Amino acid sequence: MPFPNKYRSIIIASILVVIIFIALSSILKSSGETSFFRQVVLEIVVPLENVVNSALNGIYKGWNRYIFLVGLEEENKKLKKKVSSLTSEVRTYSGTHLECMRLRKLLNLQESFQSQTIAARVIGSDRSSIFKTILLDKGKFEGLKVGLPVIAIGGVVGRIIDVSWNVSKVLLFIDYNSNIDALVQNVRAQGILQGSGNKGCILKYVQRLENVNIGDAVVSSGLAGVFPKGLLLGTVISVDKAETSLFQKISVAPSVDVSKLEEVLVIVKKEVKDK
Amino acid sequence: MIYYLLMPVFALLLLVFQTTVLDLFAFGKIKLEISLLLVIYAGFHLDIIKGGVLSVVLGAFLDCMTCLIPGFHVIFYILIFIISKNISYRVYLEGVSFIVVFTFLCVFLEGVVMFLIYLFFFDVNISYDIVNTYLPQALVLCAIGPACFALFYRLEVLMQHGEEK
Repeated sequence: MPFPNKYRSIIIASILVVIIFIALSSILKSSGETSFFRQVVLEIVVPLENVVNSALNGIYKGWNRYIFLVGLEEENKKLKKKVSSLTSEVRTYSGTHLECMRLRKLLNLQESFQSQTIAARVIGSDRSSIFKTILLDKGKFEGLKVGLPVIAIGGVVGRIIDVSWNVSKVLLFIDYNSNIDALVQNVRAQGILQGSGNKGCILKYVQRLENVNIGDAVVSSGLAGVFPKGLLLGTVISVDKAETSLFQKISVAPSVDVSKLEEVLVIVKKEVKDK
Repeated sequence: MIYYLLMPVFALLLLVFQTTVLDLFAFGKIKLEISLLLVIYAGFHLDIIKGGVLSVVLGAFLDCMTCLIPGFHVIFYILIFIISKNISYRVYLEGVSFIVVFTFLCVFLEGVVMFLIYLFFFDVNISYDIVNTYLPQALVLCAIGPACFALFYRLEVLMQHGEEK
C-alpha cells in the first residue's frame, strides 16, 4: 500500500470508520423499505439455512418418532382425557356462538373489517439472541410488504420488518422493539403492550384505577392501524399497583409459543365492508 | 486475492452454521457467536486490511440476518478488531488463559454495549436478558475459544497455501 508505515494503521482504521458511517447513513435514509444489500443477503442465506434445517429436522424427527418414545402411553392417556373435556367445551361454545350470531343479526351489526391472509411457513428463527425475529418463506412476489401483521392460531405473532423477493423477516411481539396498542378484554383498559424478551410482555400505561386481574385476556385495540381489533395477545400473569406510580405494572404471558411456530398467517388486506 | 474472493462465502457459511447447527446444539438458549471469536482471531493474527475487511463483512452479514439495530455488529466488530489489533502488539498471544479471559471480556462487552444502547436510546432495561443471554454465552465462548482459535489457524494456513500456489 502507498501509505507510510507509521500512519498505516491509523489511516486504515479511519477508512473503516468512514465506511461504517456511510453504510449507516444509507440505512437510516431508506424510507422503511428493506435495502437492496439486505434483500440479497436474505435471499442467499435462507436457502442455505433451509438445507441445514431440513437435514437437522430429519434427524430430530427420527429421534422423536422411533427412539425417544418413553412416556408416550402416559401422554396419550392424558391427551384423550383432554380431548373429551375440550369436545364438551366446544359444544357449549358453539351454542353461544349461534346465539351471538342471532343477536348480531337482530342488532344489524356488520363486521368492521374483512381480511385476506396468506399462509407462510416459518423457515428460520433467532431464539437465542436478544432480538426476537423469525423468517418466513414468502416475500414481495406473494404480495407481502413491510408493516403487515402476522398471526397464528393462538393470536398475534408480530409484524413484518424486512421483505426480500421470496423471504420476509418478522419482528416477534415479544421483542423489546415491539409496541402494540392493546386492551384488557374484561375491563376495556387501554395500554401499550411492549415486548420483554424472554420474560414475555409488559402492558404499560394502564391507569392505577383500572381493575385488572390475573388471568384477564389482553387483545389488540386496533387503534394503531397495524393489527385488527380483538386479536388475542396474551394473558395477565401479574399486576403491580405501586402507590407512587400513576400506572400499573402488568406482566403478560404471550398467547402464542413463538418457539414452536411452524406456520403463520400474514394479513395482507383489510377493508371496510360496503353497507 | 483468493482471500478476498473466498472470505465473503466463508463468512456467510459460518453465519449460517452459527444460526442453525450451533443454535440447535445450544438448545436455542445461548447464542454461540463464533463470528466474534473469528474477529478476535483476525485482530490477533491477520494484517489490518484483511482483518478489517473480514470484520466489516461479518458484521454486515450478521446485521442483515438477525440484528434490529442498524449497523450494530459492523461497528462492534470493528471496535473489537481494533482493540484486539492494538493488544496483539503488546501481549504474548499464544497463552490459553489470555485467550479465555480476553474472549470473555469481549462477549461481555457486547452485552454491556447492547444494554447501554437499549437503556439510553429505547429507555428499556434489558438487564434480565443480558444476564441470561450474554453471561452464559461469554462463559461458553471463552471455554471453546482456544479450540476455535486452533481451527482458525489451520484454515488460515490452508488459505495461505492456496494463495502461494
